[in-house]
Amino acid sequence: MSLEIEGLEKHFGDVRAVAGVDLAVGHGEFFTLLGPSGCGKTTILRVIAGIYPADRGRVRLGGVDVTEAPIHARNMALVFQNYALFPHLTVFENVAFGLRMRRLAREEIRRRGREALELVRLGTLAERYPDQLSGGQQQRVSLARALVIRPDLLLLDEPLSNLDARLREEMRGEIRELQRRLGVTTVLVTHDIQEAFAMSDRVAVLEAGRILQTGRPAELYLSPASRFVANFVGPTNEVALAAIRTVGDGTLATTSGGLAIKVAARPGTDAGGKAAWLMIRPENLRLFVAEGETDNRYEALVEDVVYLGAATSCRLAIGDLRLMAAVPSTIGARLAPGVRVAVGWSAEDGVIGHDR
Amino acid sequence: MERAGWLFVLPLALVLATGYVWPLFQAGVNSFHLNTPEGIDLGHWTDANYAKLLDPLYQSILERTLRISLIVSAITAVLAYPVAFFIVRLKPKVQPWLILVYVSPWLVNTVVKSFGWSLLLRSNGVINTTLQHLGLIDAPLHLMLNETGVIIALVPGHFMFVLLPLWAAASGLDPNLKWAAGTLGAPPWQIFLRVTLPLTLPSLIAGLVINFTMNMTAFAAPAILGGVRARTVSFLAFQVNLEQLNWPLGGAIAVGLLVFTLAVVWSGQRLAFLAVRSGRTRP
Repeated sequence: MSLEIEGLEKHFGDVRAVAGVDLAVGHGEFFTLLGPSGCGKTTILRVIAGIYPADRGRVRLGGVDVTEAPIHARNMALVFQNYALFPHLTVFENVAFGLRMRRLAREEIRRRGREALELVRLGTLAERYPDQLSGGQQQRVSLARALVIRPDLLLLDEPLSNLDARLREEMRGEIRELQRRLGVTTVLVTHDIQEAFAMSDRVAVLEAGRILQTGRPAELYLSPASRFVANFVGPTNEVALAAIRTVGDGTLATTSGGLAIKVAARPGTDAGGKAAWLMIRPENLRLFVAEGETDNRYEALVEDVVYLGAATSCRLAIGDLRLMAAVPSTIGARLAPGVRVAVGWSAEDGVIGHDR
Repeated sequence: MERAGWLFVLPLALVLATGYVWPLFQAGVNSFHLNTPEGIDLGHWTDANYAKLLDPLYQSILERTLRISLIVSAITAVLAYPVAFFIVRLKPKVQPWLILVYVSPWLVNTVVKSFGWSLLLRSNGVINTTLQHLGLIDAPLHLMLNETGVIIALVPGHFMFVLLPLWAAASGLDPNLKWAAGTLGAPPWQIFLRVTLPLTLPSLIAGLVINFTMNMTAFAAPAILGGVRARTVSFLAFQVNLEQLNWPLGGAIAVGLLVFTLAVVWSGQRLAFLAVRSGRTRP
């Protein structure tokens, strides 16, 4: 079911955990709240679930206002970071808990419980207790327990943070596939950018209880609306700008060091006056470019080279401007401190941001 | 170091051996001999003292002791849950102070406490005069020199033995479990019944075992607030040992109370364990 949040605010004592949040999640959409710890993302999730009452604002599920509905009457399912399985119940009883609360017939409870366990490939462990399972298995049980009640909304609170890196990647794909197959509207809370990007249809980046930007993963990465978003979703070069001019159908930015850089025009980049920054992703810098091959081309001095396996990271100096470049290691092999290279990037790869 | 470990245990072991095990052993030995005007007849062994315990008078006293102890434990169990969960919800800094309030009855001498209760409970005591003054009752309620008085005094007196383990268990409960149950459709009473209660039951039982044992062996409260009309086993043991100076029969009463209390505690724990386990595996 679709979810809408309007003007949500939540305080804890003097601390404003959520400072006015609006968002809309479409039916069947996988939506992620992404942000550093303490940005209010978990609080928003808990208000949606009904664990915390909202101080202000409305929560609507499928068009119905559920802001005042008690937690047990919302038909949402929550998956916790620590799984929160009932330690005194077997795997099957954990999964059947929500069905028993709905007072279903014994046969139906058995059938649907079995189905849910098959769905997460744990059919053989039904009689075990949670403390007899591995972390990944426990997370699967909690997923089955959540899905078996056919929730209108699936809420995932950092569900993969307690798993090791390989398992995390595996579960990521598994959850995404299940979500698509069942078509259940899902809200994920995470601080892990890769997790957010890999799983979500759309992502909202939060800071200090506010949504800074909402968009598809590629939009956030390639067109960040602010310096915070640019830095949060990935490494970026930030260049302080002294002036921005419109030239033809593009923009010409001048650094404080006097370097002129061509930038493709985007809505909102020409608001002059305020201090501005140019952001360029390290992997968008190309080395050994020929004259005229890229919109921008400069002579640079290699200052430092760090080999990272598939990619090589290097620090370049263009006059007094320092840029980090990430290049394939086949190209990186030709680099060494002191080498002079031609560096270039296209006008589309630069994004101008303003201090607010 | 490992070998020297028992040295640390030694002081307490000595104290227990001389102050507890030896006297208990003595009472046990005495209980198998006859009391004569010349003293304890250590020359002959007999089970006559234990045969006397089957006397209907003694049986009724044991029954009363058991009844009072069970009622006090039951009331305590019911009252301790709301108190424990109320305290857990307070700020961590405040919690120890409230715990102290509930522990404080235990810090007052039981004799002083019992006399304090008698000021409140007697016919012309605070409670009866107040109720009469308000016109709620015509004649004074019999609140002491009966089982009621003993129960009223023992509930607060031994409350902490259940509250402390329950409080510890309640603070250790993962709040996510409660929320998980809630989102899955469980209203608050179902959460209590299906999650909170089973997970805190072992601590409750541990507390109740101590509480029950303390109730069975309480002396001052039954002596002062129960009197001769509501005698308990410990009061009987006092009378036989120190008023009649019949140590062999007194020893038999003491050993009998010990064995009976242990039997009740053991079977109670057994039952609770089975209940918890059957709760775990219910299909």
